[in-house]
Amino acid sequence: MTVAALSAYNLGHAYGDIVALHHLDVEVPPGRIGLVGANGAGKTTLIKVLLGILTPTVGRVEVLGVDPADDLIGVRSRIGYMPEGECLPKDQTAADFVSYAAELAGVPPTESRQRASDILTMVGLHEERFRYLGDFSTGMKQRAMLAQAIVHDPEMVFLDEPTAGLDPAGREEMLDLISRLGGFGINVLVSSHVLPDIEQTCDWVVMLDGGRVLRSGPISGLTETGVVELEVVDSIDLVAAELRRTGATVETTGEVLTITSSPGDPFLAARDALAATDVSLRRLGARSTTLEDIFLGEVPDDE
Amino acid sequence: MSDRTGVVYDLGYQPYEGQRLGRAGAIRAMIKDGLRRTFGIRRKARKKVYPWGLVSLAFLPAAVFVGLSFAISSFAPDADSPFGGHPEYIGLIGTVIILFVASAAPNLLISDREDGVLSVYSSRPLTAWDYIWGRAGALAGVAAAFFILPNLIMYIGFAALEDRGFASALFNNLDDWVKILATMLAYVVGYGAPALLISTYARRVGPAAGTYLAVIFISPAFAEMFRNLNFTGSRYGTLISLLQHPEVVRNWVFDRSQSGIPMISVGFEPWLSAVIIGLIGVATVYLMARRYRREL
Repeated sequence: MTVAALSAYNLGHAYGDIVALHHLDVEVPPGRIGLVGANGAGKTTLIKVLLGILTPTVGRVEVLGVDPADDLIGVRSRIGYMPEGECLPKDQTAADFVSYAAELAGVPPTESRQRASDILTMVGLHEERFRYLGDFSTGMKQRAMLAQAIVHDPEMVFLDEPTAGLDPAGREEMLDLISRLGGFGINVLVSSHVLPDIEQTCDWVVMLDGGRVLRSGPISGLTETGVVELEVVDSIDLVAAELRRTGATVETTGEVLTITSSPGDPFLAARDALAATDVSLRRLGARSTTLEDIFLGEVPDDE
Repeated sequence: MSDRTGVVYDLGYQPYEGQRLGRAGAIRAMIKDGLRRTFGIRRKARKKVYPWGLVSLAFLPAAVFVGLSFAISSFAPDADSPFGGHPEYIGLIGTVIILFVASAAPNLLISDREDGVLSVYSSRPLTAWDYIWGRAGALAGVAAAFFILPNLIMYIGFAALEDRGFASALFNNLDDWVKILATMLAYVVGYGAPALLISTYARRVGPAAGTYLAVIFISPAFAEMFRNLNFTGSRYGTLISLLQHPEVVRNWVFDRSQSGIPMISVGFEPWLSAVIIGLIGVATVYLMARRYRREL
């Protein structure tokens, strides 16, 4: 049986009177996981609980099947973390700091230096590895932060707003790096309020709002609507009438016809209706929605 | 032109399947990093000037003392060194330790917080206690080295001057080391703990160093003021002198005069200074743990 990457059971955390997490119950399989929510939704608090920095007020969590409250060192031996803010000493070179980050995870010094060099090359900082981190640009800092998070080959890495402050090109490069982490056998939790970033990099999403889980599931399932759209050249009413005759529910807007439900496969129904009416097709496809649409649809109206 | 040819392979990401040294390795790495940081090793040149200047200040006089003693003893081999022994040298080193920890403690603790590096520690097999011991250990280690090594130079140098023979002098004077190590503990904890405590709560390196130096160097003036006041319990105010507690312990251990030291002149016993240093050390560790358990 596959161990869940992350599990929360009735998890709650409060900062004094302010409740940051409300009775979270969620189980997430290994892979690339997106944690989305507006600022203040509880994403960073959840990550800090997973890291064992914060203790749950109620309930418990498990990271790779281990509760940080039971075995903090055990959990921390298997994870990496790229925080939202900076985590780089200005007076050290990238090579020295990333090597030190590996040593802190127990990798012997000689191997640490070799791995630091390899990982900095992988994130595109090979030429800059002997420059001081204080002289780095925002994009280079983000890459160095990613490097320190994975240099020790963790089983799971938490990335908190990894694209924050990056220009479009830097953002694309960072998202590409994150997408590649799954291929290295590293489970990834990406926290972001930029929903397209999650859509691009993750295969599972957990939506948080006001410290509550709105939805948790595979992204492909969430974004598929089951609705088929087709655009035809003239005679749209003929096609609509043929589809209704076969029992489908259709809507028309201009030259676009939407099949919201049908007795069988909606694509086959569309093909048969076009053949029966001899109408030319301009476009046919499934209508998918975005995480943003889903998120906005789930968030209560009073927010 | 070289006729050698080759191909560079980008192996991409390689999983690590080698040895992992665990928590002990992580703490060792922290201490090593602390030592490098305090001495500016693998940092820009300007980071090296201050600590290595202090190293010179601590070591050069010892070397000069021993060298001059050799020169003089060549004329009068049985003469004692005219430059003073370990207790006098400890007085000089005490000032060096103060100047060193004033800079090193904020650099170790505040820089980690300012630069956000604590979040890296929170994703490694470390606890808040490990962090505290790692950082305090690095500071104490360097301060102890400042203390021990010049005394070692003097010990070996003066042993070589003794007419009963080098080896005999080395072994016969070993009881000096019990005194040196006991005094070292008082100096390292007495001066290092307040620096760590201030750096645990201060936000910036410069003000933390300034505050520490002010507290240490101004506290004897307040102690002197309390000695001259005549209200009930005013004598307890003399215990505020953080600068002088290690000196009291040194004089006590080496059986030297305590004249002019406020807390002794109002009737306190020297052992009380040792107790106060111990309490400062324990309080520092407790308050550091409270502070860092919130972030690690």
